[in-house]
Amino acid sequence: MILDANDLPEGAPQEADLCIVGAGAAGIAMALELLDSGLRLLLLESGGFGAEADSQALYAGAVADPALHSPLDTYRERRYGGSTTLWGGRSMPFDPIDFEARDYIAHSGWPIAFEDLAPYYPRANRIAEAGAYAYRAGQAFTRPLPPMIEGFASADLGTDTLERFSCPTDFGRRYRHKLEAAANCRLLLHANVTRIALAADGGAVDHLDVATLAGRRFQVRAGHVVLAAGGLENARLLLASRDVQAAGVGNGHDLVGRYYMCHMAGTIGALRFTRPVWHGYDIADDGTYCRRRIALSPEAQRRLRAGNVIARLHHPRIIDPAHRNGVLSMLYLARMFIPYEYAKRLDGEVRLGLIPQARHLWNVLADMPGTAAFLWHLLRDRRLAERKFPSIIIRSKANLYSLDVHGEQEPNPDSRLTLERETDALGMPRLKADWRYSRQDIASIATMLEVLARDVAACGVGRFTYDPDSVEHEMTRYGAYGGHHIGTTRMAASPRQGVVDAHCAVHGLPNLHVAGSSVFPTSGQANPTLTAVALGLRLADRLKSLAAPSPVSVGLPYTDRSMN
Amino acid sequence: MIQSVLVLGASGFIGRRVVQALAAADGCIPLAAGRRLATRTEDGIEALHLDGGDEPALAAALTRVQAVVDCTAAPPETMRRISAALFRAANAAGRPLVVQLSSMAVYGNAVGRVAETAALSDEQGPYAAAKLAGERLAADYGRAVILRPGCVYGPGGLQWSLRLARLLRARRLGDLGAEGDGIANLVHVDDVARAVVAAVRQGRAEGQAFNLAMAGAPTWNEYLMAFAQALAAVPVRRLSARRLRLETKLLAPPLKILEMAAARAGAVAWAPPLVPPSLARLFRQEIRLDSGKSERLLGQTWMPLDEGLAETAAWCRAQRA
Repeated sequence: MILDANDLPEGAPQEADLCIVGAGAAGIAMALELLDSGLRLLLLESGGFGAEADSQALYAGAVADPALHSPLDTYRERRYGGSTTLWGGRSMPFDPIDFEARDYIAHSGWPIAFEDLAPYYPRANRIAEAGAYAYRAGQAFTRPLPPMIEGFASADLGTDTLERFSCPTDFGRRYRHKLEAAANCRLLLHANVTRIALAADGGAVDHLDVATLAGRRFQVRAGHVVLAAGGLENARLLLASRDVQAAGVGNGHDLVGRYYMCHMAGTIGALRFTRPVWHGYDIADDGTYCRRRIALSPEAQRRLRAGNVIARLHHPRIIDPAHRNGVLSMLYLARMFIPYEYAKRLDGEVRLGLIPQARHLWNVLADMPGTAAFLWHLLRDRRLAERKFPSIIIRSKANLYSLDVHGEQEPNPDSRLTLERETDALGMPRLKADWRYSRQDIASIATMLEVLARDVAACGVGRFTYDPDSVEHEMTRYGAYGGHHIGTTRMAASPRQGVVDAHCAVHGLPNLHVAGSSVFPTSGQANPTLTAVALGLRLADRLKSLAAPSPVSVGLPYTDRSMN
Repeated sequence: MIQSVLVLGASGFIGRRVVQALAAADGCIPLAAGRRLATRTEDGIEALHLDGGDEPALAAALTRVQAVVDCTAAPPETMRRISAALFRAANAAGRPLVVQLSSMAVYGNAVGRVAETAALSDEQGPYAAAKLAGERLAADYGRAVILRPGCVYGPGGLQWSLRLARLLRARRLGDLGAEGDGIANLVHVDDVARAVVAAVRQGRAEGQAFNLAMAGAPTWNEYLMAFAQALAAVPVRRLSARRLRLETKLLAPPLKILEMAAARAGAVAWAPPLVPPSLARLFRQEIRLDSGKSERLLGQTWMPLDEGLAETAAWCRAQRA
């Protein structure tokens, strides 16, 4: 059932076998997995069903360098459904190499292997509505696909791995009926956790302090607690709860908030092909949009000592009217109607003069039929479609593309979140993000670009030209890739190296667990949502037995228990 | 002991398979009865022309058998009439065992795991009410076995096979999102036929009711997705709740009229299929039939879904020609 925390009786503590903090991708996926478990679940959500400015304002914080990191209340949504109300839907598993300790990536290596997580990915795909768990073209398609780049073959770069896309599914809206109908689960809206209160000996969570913006305060007492509030907020909650452990909960080794990673991303160079190229989407039998990309193979990564990097063929830079493409110019001119999170990488926040603006307008007018066809496609396949065409694909008449790169970041203890003195409306200290990248981050991408230029030329399929000296500039032009908040409560076998153990329990606190991308020790090349969901499902599986209620209460729904 | 078994509605989707299963079973001899039959079925099995409502003819047929299975598919009022006639005739003709094919519809709008002991309801309308009335007559009669199948699919099936196939091919059904999270309590027609044989042969089944739905039944989304792929009706389209409402509210009423007109003209196959509101409701209903009892007492096993779907899709494709 779904309730509003403001409607609860004043002061009465809420009890549960398991309390999940945050109804976003990880929290909702976990709740779904536990609906038939017999556990009494309590799901706490700060926001309501829609966007609410005062809830969202609790996310505001500081950034060390605004050029490198977007404001903390962007790219994340403090509301029921979390940031799945905003996401683009790219649903990628991590690669096996991402879990390995690699001597060329400092602090790399997970305490679990890909095989430990693999069983949970297919269900994560189902919940995210990203279709079959099949990420190679040959697996996902029974029909032969045209080659991504005809005639291209490389020992180091593959073009047969796929990206798959969710609808993009808003987990809150999609699964609301299940949470409403569930007898063993209560979802409380407008319930903000303000403190993780430990037992006096610091060996377990005693309760959570919860507050609403309307002034209601109460405690939650649960056998087990899962933080699933997002990659930034999980760390904030731990750091801000300082009364028993002075440095913050689980922060005895000063690791909470450190190793903060996003992804390196940017668009670079000019790829001109002499052979046919297919850089758009293919629709799988199950209806999901899939797209191939160029990926640096694991063997090449090891040999060349590079992190995990992938690239997609991309349209030319929108802002420069020299592309003479009506659709791109229209997007430039319409940028104020595009949400900040998506517009940021469109216009680069560069102001154009009147003449280039006029040239954009001319592009639109000169390419009227193309622009009109594109608008129709946008209306039919994106605006009105439940499964949305994921991104803008422009077929280049000149067979000319730029390269859109997405790369792994090396874990770096100096890239970190800290608490500010300033507090939010509930008295919680605000966050400050000091995001950093390393030489290795840029070097990995530079290596990939070199290999691509070499192999495109060697195969005689075209030419890739770029300025090697501009790699760092282009990969940091828009700063950290928005919305991917990784590593701030990293997983490690030892409490000296990580905040949570291999099972996502906070070291030394067996009843406190963390779900979401904050537990990833490394960032891989993949967008984090699918792996956050898969790890959440793995944790839910463990909690089924761990948090099993006493025999008396097995299977009793809340309604029965409260009858006295 | 050899048992003769009268099968009513023997030329229908389920009845035909029941006759075949009885003929193949040791110790059973089927006697096929139906309005469209004469002296033999297509498979050469003894048959008789019989209208279920013709009580004297029914009573005469019942004197020749030890058991009777009612597989009649008819509008609710006809079903009621035939049930009433059947139990009166059975009482007058030596009280043979009656196997009554009921439906999961008698559980109404229940959700969750539902066993045979669950409360019964006629809230889903005249069809459910007629099935429930039949069950009450069976209970009064005493010597009866009640089978409550979920959605019976398989070659020859119109409701859960051909209709859905046509809608999937037209992309009017597909991935329904939250609208398709209900459980498709599927049971293959051959599994139903084997349950009937077991019900006739196992003395301990008498006086009992049995749910019939495959173990681990998929959600409707999963079923529609798998069926579409078996039909090669791909890529499967994601349909919004809005689109489904358009089907049930706007399209269904005129299509229903068209269907009734086509039925009157004897050309049912020509009418385009429709998605009535009751079907959309079922797609959402998270009811899971617990068929453990039929597994334990009748030794019931289930046809794997991929096998059943491959065979069903092949039949559906042949209907197009």
